[in-house]
Amino acid sequence: MHIVVCLKQIIDPEVPFHLFRIDPVAKAQIRGSHPLVISSYDEVAVEVAIQAKERFGGRVTIVSIGTKETVQALHQALAMGADAAVLLCDPLFERTDSFGKAQILAAALRKIGDFDLILCGRQAGDVEMGLVGPFLAEELGIPCATLVSNLVSANGKVRLKRPTESGCEVLEAPLPCLATVTNDESNVPRYASVKGIRAAMRTPIPTWTAADLGLNAPALGQERRIEIDEMWIPQREIRCELIAGESAEEKARNLALRLREMGAVR
Amino acid sequence: MASILTSCIGTSSSIPRSGLELLAAARSLSQQLGGIPVQTLFLGSGVKEQASALIHHGADQVLLADHPCLEHPEDEVVLGIAERTVRQLAPRVVLLPQDELSGGHVGPRLAYRLKTGIVTDCTGFAVQNGHIRWLRPVYGGKAMAYMCIRGPLQIATIRSRAFEPLPADPLRAGEIQEVSLAPEVPSTSVTVVERVEAAEAEGGISLDRAEIIVSGGRGMGSAEGFSILHEMARVLGAAVGGSRPAADMGWVPHSHLIGQTGKIVAPNLYIAVGISGATQHMAGAGSSKTIVAINKDPDAPIFKLAHIGVVGEWEKVIPPLIQALQEMGSC
Repeated sequence: MHIVVCLKQIIDPEVPFHLFRIDPVAKAQIRGSHPLVISSYDEVAVEVAIQAKERFGGRVTIVSIGTKETVQALHQALAMGADAAVLLCDPLFERTDSFGKAQILAAALRKIGDFDLILCGRQAGDVEMGLVGPFLAEELGIPCATLVSNLVSANGKVRLKRPTESGCEVLEAPLPCLATVTNDESNVPRYASVKGIRAAMRTPIPTWTAADLGLNAPALGQERRIEIDEMWIPQREIRCELIAGESAEEKARNLALRLREMGAVR
Repeated sequence: MASILTSCIGTSSSIPRSGLELLAAARSLSQQLGGIPVQTLFLGSGVKEQASALIHHGADQVLLADHPCLEHPEDEVVLGIAERTVRQLAPRVVLLPQDELSGGHVGPRLAYRLKTGIVTDCTGFAVQNGHIRWLRPVYGGKAMAYMCIRGPLQIATIRSRAFEPLPADPLRAGEIQEVSLAPEVPSTSVTVVERVEAAEAEGGISLDRAEIIVSGGRGMGSAEGFSILHEMARVLGAAVGGSRPAADMGWVPHSHLIGQTGKIVAPNLYIAVGISGATQHMAGAGSSKTIVAINKDPDAPIFKLAHIGVVGEWEKVIPPLIQALQEMGSC
């Protein structure tokens, strides 16, 4: 089975509130000195793919739309156990919205050709729209399973585990198909081994441009369908009311009284 | 028709809160757009009796798709019916709940098929010169954005708890119209072959519906530490959640992880115990109406994000707190 994972590199989402800045004109976060990381659900998708390879055989290819810096994220995924990686990089790709991104990824997948299963994180850790995965399935005209956390079996078709509010479901889908991946106990991303890191550094990562993918500006839908009109950092005017008390017991009692006074507890 | 179409998947016994929240959102948007009608696509099996409740909560017209195959509708069935309905009705706006089924899957695929844009996980909107600007958090809630859709149709998914359901008005009039599922029930390629109900969910209160959530973090130190939070939750009728370190260490199941990579909740009261207040966590809990922080470190970031704080060790604060809450509850 050939699994392709679509991965996005983003600015570390753990940047604390007081260091977080946005550019109101570009309507995006300012990078500053913050590191770039693999978007968390995409890293989970890499883990799911590698676990599937270990259990059912096959190989894992990573694709990512990005810049030269994205090679670092691709190396990380290779070091975790992926077999190959491709960087999709072109100035034409930069201004595209989720529709454009899906078209670029679809072109790359058609060029790869022999994929069976595509995994995408459920949403990126920055703008968190969660659109590219389902869009890509539509663009390729393949079935889409959403919010799955692992593969249960793979035998001509796949069975996928989907955590639900009250337990889980097992989905069955024909191949090829696309699944968006969410996290659970079973798919916490592994650390790369030293051996894996060495092997990753030796793996060549080809770059495919718009021309390589047969894409040009009109094909990429110059008309964006989703525009960010305005972006700002909301002022947090919360003044924390500290509960007074000589002892922990007194604080606890005062907290209980305060909560009842507010009507927050009965 | 220039209408707002909402969707709702019901059961024979209830209408999900999300369906009523969408109607509240739709009425508010309708008012800002000059009073355009609100239609609801209502799917389920044996749900006919519930349809009038949707009218009482704000729908002008209910399009009822009541069929045994819609007991646990597969995503693609919902998508198929939604696509056909939207093509027939040509509404101006489609509102879907940002839940795992409709928001995560149906909305984006619907937008793709109808060649229009979509904004997911909205918490509000504003109408400016007749154009809708969709409000949503970005970067884990650290920033907010207004987004616009360029396309023939506006599709948005609405975050749970962003709108309060309108009170039911039994005198509100509206029309119920059955939709046929002809030519045949849509077939699907992705099917659910098994459903496993987790035993631990029994008796517990779901995070999505809880009015009060008690949540623990790294500071709880162990799974045993969490048992006192469960005890407090029982006294309060609350659900129990945890931060990512707590989930990663297995102190709470991943399904109870609250944060940017877990559940996004907005209860009336959120009690965070031994949680530092990392942005990952606050992305999931930051919209709670009242946040109470209990932490021994007075410099923990959570005290900048909480409404009420107690500086103290949970081991010493929680037992008398449970006792005080119990005493209040019994008087």
